[in-house]
Amino acid sequence: MKITPAEVAALSLSIKVALLSLVMTFPVGLLVGWLLAKRTFPGKTFLNTLVMSPLVLPPIVSGYLLLILLGKHGFIGGFIYQTFGIEIIFSQLAVVIAVSIISFPLLVRGIVTGMESVPVELENAARTLGASPVKVFITITLPLAYRGVIGGTILGFSKSLGEFGATIMVAGNIPGKTQTMALSIFSAVHLGEDASVYRLVFISTIVAFVALWLTERFTLR
Amino acid sequence: MADSTRIRLNFRKSLGGFTLAVDCVLEEKVSAFLGVSGSGKSTLLNCISGTLTPDEGQIAFGDEILYDSTAKINLPPEKRRFGYVFQEGHLFPHLTVAQNIRYGQPNPRKSSDAIDVLEISELLQRYPKELSGGQRQRVAIARALAMEPRMLLMDEPLASLDSTLKDRIIPYLHHVKNAFEIPILYVTHTFSEAMALADEAFLIADGVIIANGEPHRLLTAPSAMPIAQLTGVENTLFLPVTLSDEAHGVTSLKIGDQSLVIPYTDVEVGDIVPVAVRAEDIIISLEPDLPVSARNILRGKIQCLDVKSERTWLSILVEWHHLAVKITHEAREQMQLREGLEVYCVIKASAINRLWD
Repeated sequence: MKITPAEVAALSLSIKVALLSLVMTFPVGLLVGWLLAKRTFPGKTFLNTLVMSPLVLPPIVSGYLLLILLGKHGFIGGFIYQTFGIEIIFSQLAVVIAVSIISFPLLVRGIVTGMESVPVELENAARTLGASPVKVFITITLPLAYRGVIGGTILGFSKSLGEFGATIMVAGNIPGKTQTMALSIFSAVHLGEDASVYRLVFISTIVAFVALWLTERFTLR
Repeated sequence: MADSTRIRLNFRKSLGGFTLAVDCVLEEKVSAFLGVSGSGKSTLLNCISGTLTPDEGQIAFGDEILYDSTAKINLPPEKRRFGYVFQEGHLFPHLTVAQNIRYGQPNPRKSSDAIDVLEISELLQRYPKELSGGQRQRVAIARALAMEPRMLLMDEPLASLDSTLKDRIIPYLHHVKNAFEIPILYVTHTFSEAMALADEAFLIADGVIIANGEPHRLLTAPSAMPIAQLTGVENTLFLPVTLSDEAHGVTSLKIGDQSLVIPYTDVEVGDIVPVAVRAEDIIISLEPDLPVSARNILRGKIQCLDVKSERTWLSILVEWHHLAVKITHEAREQMQLREGLEVYCVIKASAINRLWD
């Protein structure tokens, strides 16, 4: 099996984007997961619905909504273009944002499940022993929720690796720039490059199975 | 207790249809709150520890206000420095015993005295799941003490243990009481635990304090019959030893002109021994000379008779001691029991438990 430089570029872009997305979403995911698992506040159901919606929306729809928001005339994109002169659409940043939005619910789900399993009594016990809420989070909640946190991280990461619909909407399919693994499979199929399709599909499948296996290992005993 | 460690409670807390409303001052070194489950004991401790916020009122420790609804003061639990021992221990499962104990310690490098007092130095490297129930509770107590608290709150620390284990832990609680100069608030539904440890007792029912005072006064008075019903026990007697016979396995106590035989206990003649008998462990007879194996047949007089929905409660005056006895309505009717009637209380020696003093 001989992998072409174009395929290597696609694979490494996918990994780079997934890692960047993880770095960006993980802290936010911890905060949102903690809020959803441990706090009651007005608008909690709304926040939950908002965070989870990419899970049920067709990715192409999420991508379209992002396109509207991030475009040169969009609410966020317009502001950034006018302030910094940066165009987000069709850039690698757009890929990172797209996969972040799509993978975020999976990350948060894992974190919420993990944190909900930590009894509030243990957290209260820690408070009575003199620990501030932040110390309780770091020393009790997070370590006891680690299975869910790791599970959500791996699932989110692997979702990021293979994201297609939202990415193609906001970042296009530019080889060497925004063409990730999934997008290059799409192109290869269209161009009838069967050998390339097989190789890419094979690599994707292996990555997905390893991720799933790791998730099971960490979340189940 | 000095004024600086006196705790004043005057607050209300409603939780799902239930309301706790207390107004009291804890004056003694060990105060026990006695009540059945659901009477509001845990809610009380949670409000004092700060893990639950009352609806209104005030909580003060010495001169320091911990909670005041009008002044909008509510010190978070980590600032109150009250050691809290939970019924289930609530040890951190991912930390070893040593790490659990260090968790709240002001100086984690120093070894805590609590480790010696509770004799857990052998257990330090273990994880909570590798501990027995009794060991777990000892570690929980040590953890609360290691933080060098200003006060110790104990929520039924023995409730999850069987009675043999309880008897083994109670001496440790005595060590704690003697070794640490801090007030203790002890919550329990078990009469004998309150008797064994407390200097003052509060009876709590449906979220309200219904009586308080010195434990054995409070709980042995005839007026305490509803209390006996409430706590599921029991009669407590402080009696002098007349004979202690290890060979025959018995100890005799003097109750007026009569004697009470209990299983052998290591005491000297003349010692005063506190003992407890459950109300349902006393059999009422109209005849003194029964061919039964029970060692104690005490003569007494029915002083009052109280018909409740499930059982009849008798208060029987034996010499100058009152015994609460629980019998069925059927027995009362068939035996034609009434106030003033002379009866005999039949008690197996093994149904009489020595309390810790």
